[in-house]
Amino acid sequence: MRKFIARNAFGYLFLLPWLIGFLCLAAGPILASLALSFTKYDMVSDPQWVGLSNYQHMFWHDSRFWKALQVTLTYVFVAVPARLVIALVAAMLLDKGIRAIGAYRAIFYLPSILGASIAIAILWRNLFNGNGVVNTILSGIGINAPNWISDPRTSLYTLVVLAMWQFGSPMLIFLAGLRSIPGDLYEAAEIDAASKPRQFFAITLPLLAPVLFFNLVLQMIDAFKTFSSAFIISDGQGSPADSLLFFTIYLFNEAFKFFRMGYASALAWVLLLIIAAFTALSFLSSRYWVYYENERD
Amino acid sequence: MVGVSLRGVSKAYGNVEVMRGLSLDIHSGEFLVLVGPSGCGKSTLLRMIAGLEEITDGTISIGDRVVNDIPASQRKLSMVFQSYALYPHMNVRKNLAFGLQNLKMPRPEIERRVAEAAQILQIGQLMERKPRQLSGGQKQRVAIGRAIVREPELFLFDEPLSNLDAELRVQMRVELAGLYNRLGTTMIYVTHDQIEAMTMATRIVVLRDGTIEQVGTPHELYTKPQNLFVAGFIGSPKINMLRAKTVSHGASGSDIVLHDFGSFSHPSIAGEHGSLTVCMRPEAFTIGSVGPLTASGRVTLVEYLGADIYLHVELSSGKVLLIHGSGHDRFVIGQNVAVSLDPDLAHYFDGDGLRVEPTHSGIAA
Amino acid sequence: MTELAATNPVGTADVVRRLRKERAVRMRRAQILKHAVLALFAFVMIYPLLWMLASSLRPNNEIFGNLSVWPSDFHWENYVDGWTALPVSFSRFFANSLVVTVLSVIGNVISCSFAAYAFARLEFDGKKIWFALMMMTLMIPYHVVIIPQYVLFLNLGWVDTYAPLIVPKFLASDAFFVFLMVQFFRQLPRELDEAAMIDGCSPIKIYWAIIMPLSLPAMATAAIFSFIWVWEDFLTPLVYLNDMQNYTVPLALRMFVDQESQSAFGQLFAMSVLSIVPVVLFFALFQKFIIRGIAMSGMK
Repeated sequence: MRKFIARNAFGYLFLLPWLIGFLCLAAGPILASLALSFTKYDMVSDPQWVGLSNYQHMFWHDSRFWKALQVTLTYVFVAVPARLVIALVAAMLLDKGIRAIGAYRAIFYLPSILGASIAIAILWRNLFNGNGVVNTILSGIGINAPNWISDPRTSLYTLVVLAMWQFGSPMLIFLAGLRSIPGDLYEAAEIDAASKPRQFFAITLPLLAPVLFFNLVLQMIDAFKTFSSAFIISDGQGSPADSLLFFTIYLFNEAFKFFRMGYASALAWVLLLIIAAFTALSFLSSRYWVYYENERD
Repeated sequence: MVGVSLRGVSKAYGNVEVMRGLSLDIHSGEFLVLVGPSGCGKSTLLRMIAGLEEITDGTISIGDRVVNDIPASQRKLSMVFQSYALYPHMNVRKNLAFGLQNLKMPRPEIERRVAEAAQILQIGQLMERKPRQLSGGQKQRVAIGRAIVREPELFLFDEPLSNLDAELRVQMRVELAGLYNRLGTTMIYVTHDQIEAMTMATRIVVLRDGTIEQVGTPHELYTKPQNLFVAGFIGSPKINMLRAKTVSHGASGSDIVLHDFGSFSHPSIAGEHGSLTVCMRPEAFTIGSVGPLTASGRVTLVEYLGADIYLHVELSSGKVLLIHGSGHDRFVIGQNVAVSLDPDLAHYFDGDGLRVEPTHSGIAA
Repeated sequence: MTELAATNPVGTADVVRRLRKERAVRMRRAQILKHAVLALFAFVMIYPLLWMLASSLRPNNEIFGNLSVWPSDFHWENYVDGWTALPVSFSRFFANSLVVTVLSVIGNVISCSFAAYAFARLEFDGKKIWFALMMMTLMIPYHVVIIPQYVLFLNLGWVDTYAPLIVPKFLASDAFFVFLMVQFFRQLPRELDEAAMIDGCSPIKIYWAIIMPLSLPAMATAAIFSFIWVWEDFLTPLVYLNDMQNYTVPLALRMFVDQESQSAFGQLFAMSVLSIVPVVLFFALFQKFIIRGIAMSGMK
């Protein structure tokens, strides 16, 4: 017993704050959430066990659930690739060591830091409004554009544009990745008669794959967590017509507006499982297209 | 195989000129080594020949073509990089085939060449492996293999052995020499190691600060260094440099006072030279009192190498000489020894560091 | 030497020089084009911010339909009026945000560096499992744990206080910073620890006297990111803060939108601008840390 303490004392001493946090704020709540998802709980009276009925309602009767799923998945599968492509292009443009690279990098990255703020959400809503800047420009060149925010067909895409505006963060990671590719590989390729496009596809992309993968997973998880900007732009309800009913907003309202805690917990777990599934899929697929320098075979 | 001709080649980075007006002829089929200290411009020169660096002024011709504006891939050359530059995500076979695929060569031809290179370099069993699974020596062979499959007219090597450990380096030197004997293609080789230069080259170019100090065969560079720099750079261990003065001179020779050793008349060194540097290779000294030019000193270090020894002898003036002796002789630290030299075995350099050539050939025995 | 002169007539040098000049011109043109594209792109990126800034200085009727980034006169009253437009003045809101953010930053840096030290430098049973679990928490959306956490804090009586916002930070709830610091600690040579151990230092002393002083860059990076994220945090205050007096700036802004939605845009933008000023300031001052921090987190 004494050996056990001696060996572990200091480790656990330093780990203690995190450990308490993990158990009370992460592990515990996740399990509690699972338990709550099988109950009906309105905060006023005690939780009532209802078995699988929350889930049954969700999958068979709740059209808003499916709508939320559709909105969120559409967003994730459009915004994430768009953002990554722009980030990669920008990183490649900046990688050639042009002058004032520091300034460009800063300007491209600034939106990423501001992106989650309420101020930006407010700004965005007013940019894409009926009389916002975007429409002012478009009408200036003779296009009569709809009110992007209040039109259910287009409102989600204003958020996609917002996501694309924030390409700075993955761009920085791509830049670091590009820098780590040794220059003499390109020189050898040049002597090997590889054209610039061939160099990109045969050398840059494959060697960037780990970074690409990292960015992809990170951005995907992040996209699933979108909340504040959608909340502000949609007035907290996912309007117009649920076109901005992100899963997180739906969940939030079920929990804190209607106090259907049990159902909200079930939604939360479904969200968790979806994220886990996509992450697992990414990892599984990565075996086929990601090459790691440090792998031991 | 072809020769390479450089005419008035200059290189500047912005306002900083690192090379000006360099001209050199590289003969077809020779193994030319560019050697010199760091920053002398040897790699820059090689890369200009390769087409990886812009030529600020002057022309470079490969064969009878001026190649200044011809891209690297069309210069019919191959290059082996110091860091091997193997594509890490491709296996050995694909590394070798990559360049040929880019040239749209038919598959059977690619396979033939790859197999042949693998056979020459004995890497046939490594074909499916990735570079990270190879040792340094194996990686180097694959890099050479990649160069061979292109069947180039010119091979360029940029310090290919620098990343290998000492023993491997010796082995690879032998293999590279064997490769040269087998293929006979013109090879231009850059190194900072003068031993590699001496053992492998048909001709050596010694560079310093962007200028050519001397061009010649290893023998020429060793026995007739044209200036102090080459004398000190070529030859391992380093040559001994002694101070001397001409006290009188005439058409029939000069009287020379050699510090520590005494004066003598050299009938073949004519003309006024003022101060001289007299250089003696370690093996040119004799231990013991032989002849009139003798100095006495104390042994401060004995480097025993088996068949050879190198003695560090401190003379009364404080000057330390490095003297080569036979492994059979025994010396102890602190031992007093006499050292003599034969002026006919010395190299003479004037106050500007340039070689002073005796006025008539044939040295008095 | 002479045989080459015959095959390289004098003209060749001139041809070479001409070709070189043409190529230099072409390359310069390509460079200019690239810079033009980048500059245009950068302007488009930053235009929304500039527009918001300009609009904050215009009277309400001049805001929409106006594309220029330079206001014709400077209506500073938007800032003054906006400051007091809500029942509670923005001085209170900014003060609230400051308190929450500063305390959160302190908590984060301390607790995350403790955990990182444990993971990176100390050995203990189950280390690998705990580390894996910590990395997995990066994946968990806050929404999954928010309900049970809310119930917990409700039972503790902490709802409508700052405790639910601050206390978790002291419990290293942000795995990202733990990860960042672990990466950093791993780069410090172990020989330092070993030398100190031979000198008789306990792990606590090693942390305090050696690791921590050397990790100031990592801690600074964590502090900067932490500041920015907590300052902009919307969801947690939204859930836990009911009393307007306790609102942080993001909540105050949202209230502004709700209350004044159709009219006081100038003031709205003014307050929005003010809300992001600290973030922009931090970014301008600490760019290097931020950028290096991201690069470090990306390179596994």
